[in-house]
Amino acid sequence: MSDLIRSHGFTNEALGWKAWLPTVDLSSATDEQVAVLQESHPQALTSDYYLTLAHHPEILRQRSQAFNAIMYAPGGLSRAERELASTVVSRVNRCVYCASVHAQRFEQLAKRNDVISEVFADPATAGTTDREKAIVQFAIDLTLEPSSLSADHIHTLRDQGLDDAQVLDLIHAISIFAWANRLMLNLGEPVFSAP
Amino acid sequence: MTSTVEPAADVLDSLLHIQPGTHLHAVRHARSKVASATQASHEVFFDPALENNLSLTERLWVAYYAARLTPHGTLTAHYLEQLHGLGADNTVQAAIDSGAIEALGDARLRGILRFTQTLIESPVHGDQAALQALQQEGLGTAEIVVLAQLIAFMSYQVRLAAGLDALLSAGAAR
Repeated sequence: MSDLIRSHGFTNEALGWKAWLPTVDLSSATDEQVAVLQESHPQALTSDYYLTLAHHPEILRQRSQAFNAIMYAPGGLSRAERELASTVVSRVNRCVYCASVHAQRFEQLAKRNDVISEVFADPATAGTTDREKAIVQFAIDLTLEPSSLSADHIHTLRDQGLDDAQVLDLIHAISIFAWANRLMLNLGEPVFSAP
Repeated sequence: MTSTVEPAADVLDSLLHIQPGTHLHAVRHARSKVASATQASHEVFFDPALENNLSLTERLWVAYYAARLTPHGTLTAHYLEQLHGLGADNTVQAAIDSGAIEALGDARLRGILRFTQTLIESPVHGDQAALQALQQEGLGTAEIVVLAQLIAFMSYQVRLAAGLDALLSAGAAR
């Protein structure tokens, strides 16, 4: 459906992911582990990622509730703009797997991937509109220099038409990918399909 | 373990002075599922009875170090206060504060803090060898998963706090 993007080690192709640690064996999993997996993601029972995190089910439960509420809740910042921010954070943190997943989600929602090509090539200059540029720059700043954040950052977003509920949605989307990228980068690695 | 959270007990609201009745409090709690899962995560990570072998003191050193590296002053002070409340070892704080974690006598804590520094400062460098180094210090699989989750959660919490700080200083939109 989409144009293939391969740029600077990043791609919008579907990738696999394999764990570096032993995953939870479903045949010996507790009822709580199975319940948390089922409420976390539709494919969690066959995903190395979720089967790794299921070693501590209550932590996974709260992570999944935060993640799903941040990325899928109705209203506020558009879901496409949340996915754009997630893709930027993943690009900046160099999480190739996360960037691929959220590049695809952005395209499903926005029906275009022009800004994704730009983000993969150079996040610092990416954005097809002033509003997108402001969202992308905010995602870079909060990812790389959280201590630099000031009222000026908020005013810049307001100037592009974001209300405070949308700014908070953006802060949430960027922050949850500080969390998600680290798990994906630090507990396993992407798997590329054979060429 | 409870996942029901009283609004008054919310750690970010109280540390950042986001008062009930204010504009920002209303905006934040309009996303109630995010606020409650954020608070519940915090409670699980710092539950004295968390079911693994990573001690509460070790978890608080990780949080203190992560907040300090970011840096986020309010959260750094919060975790240090918790450590002082537990009578934690001042020589560990001195080692962290002077950037001398390699001089720590406790090899396990040294390994945990080294992993923390890598994941906070440059997560792409936390590779399979980094996990093997933790295994060599005796950390089991579930312990490593909890540690990785804790450091990743801290990366989230410090950014959410920085964002809320900025919203607070910007004031309500005109």
